[in-house]
Amino acid sequence: MLSDEEARRYSRQMQLPEIGLEGQARIAAGRVLVAGLGGLGSIGAYYLAAAGVGHLRLVDRDRVALENLNRQILHASTDIGRPKAASAAEKLSCLNPHCRFEAIETDIGEESVESLTEGCSAIFDATDNRATRQVLNSASVKKGVPFVYGGITGWEGMASTFIPGRTPCFSCLFPSTAESIAVEPPPALGPTAGLVASLQCLDTLRLLVGLVPRLAGRLLRFSGATMEFHLLPIDRNPHCPVCSCRQHHSSP
Amino acid sequence: MSATIRITVNGIPENVPSSATLADLIDLFHEMDRDLIVEHNGRFVFPQDYSVTQVAGGDRVEFIHPNFGG
Repeated sequence: MLSDEEARRYSRQMQLPEIGLEGQARIAAGRVLVAGLGGLGSIGAYYLAAAGVGHLRLVDRDRVALENLNRQILHASTDIGRPKAASAAEKLSCLNPHCRFEAIETDIGEESVESLTEGCSAIFDATDNRATRQVLNSASVKKGVPFVYGGITGWEGMASTFIPGRTPCFSCLFPSTAESIAVEPPPALGPTAGLVASLQCLDTLRLLVGLVPRLAGRLLRFSGATMEFHLLPIDRNPHCPVCSCRQHHSSP
Repeated sequence: MSATIRITVNGIPENVPSSATLADLIDLFHEMDRDLIVEHNGRFVFPQDYSVTQVAGGDRVEFIHPNFGG
């Protein structure tokens, strides 16, 4: 049951017939892992908290640095040197005291991912490399938790929502496990991150409310250089090392 | 000289060998990215199908580079 304060806070989104009181209750019951609190995570966590997601698990191993601040707008100049997770939880608590925030300063790896994804209704990907996404994807497939992928490079970004057992998984799209040979971080522009994270938020909210996520089985690409969006339907890869082999292994 | 066909690669018209597969085009256009996504006439192609998928005149091929920054 919503308090009067909450009913007012969420009134504009509850006007949507797809949300209403029931949808808002589902959003409040949601627990989302926000994996990364950089450019994507700043916007993602902010909109999810503002929308009233009941429990956000905020995970980042890094501390705020000056060169983050062109895009990581959850953090301020006075936060430089502080853990991103703690900085994020502080701002988000001011925004919405009705949500529970867990700030966790840790690396997302094979060992930590089990507990980090425990009890989650969705994984909001705001990481900055393929290897960490593959770790999250494996946990997503294993536990049946939807994985909302987003990534940016400069003017360009892409997003897709992976529903275990129903749509392709991240590794259907990116099967390579070769070490990345990046020598320096890619260019990153604030509004590109903001746009891609907003797209991810829309699908995350759809998931929580029980609506069909519109990026399921589709890769959305955006270019801020041409202002063009492009949707590419994607299928499950029968040779996928993560979501296909698992089924083969589990059969007698 | 072998026959060529005209296709569109990343929006640009190109002449390529008429028997070219997607794997051949990846070599021809020096697409070295291990995480490359290939779109052929609006359809996503699995990596295991690159070497058995031939292109025809008028086809559209997009080489899509992943965005992994955050």
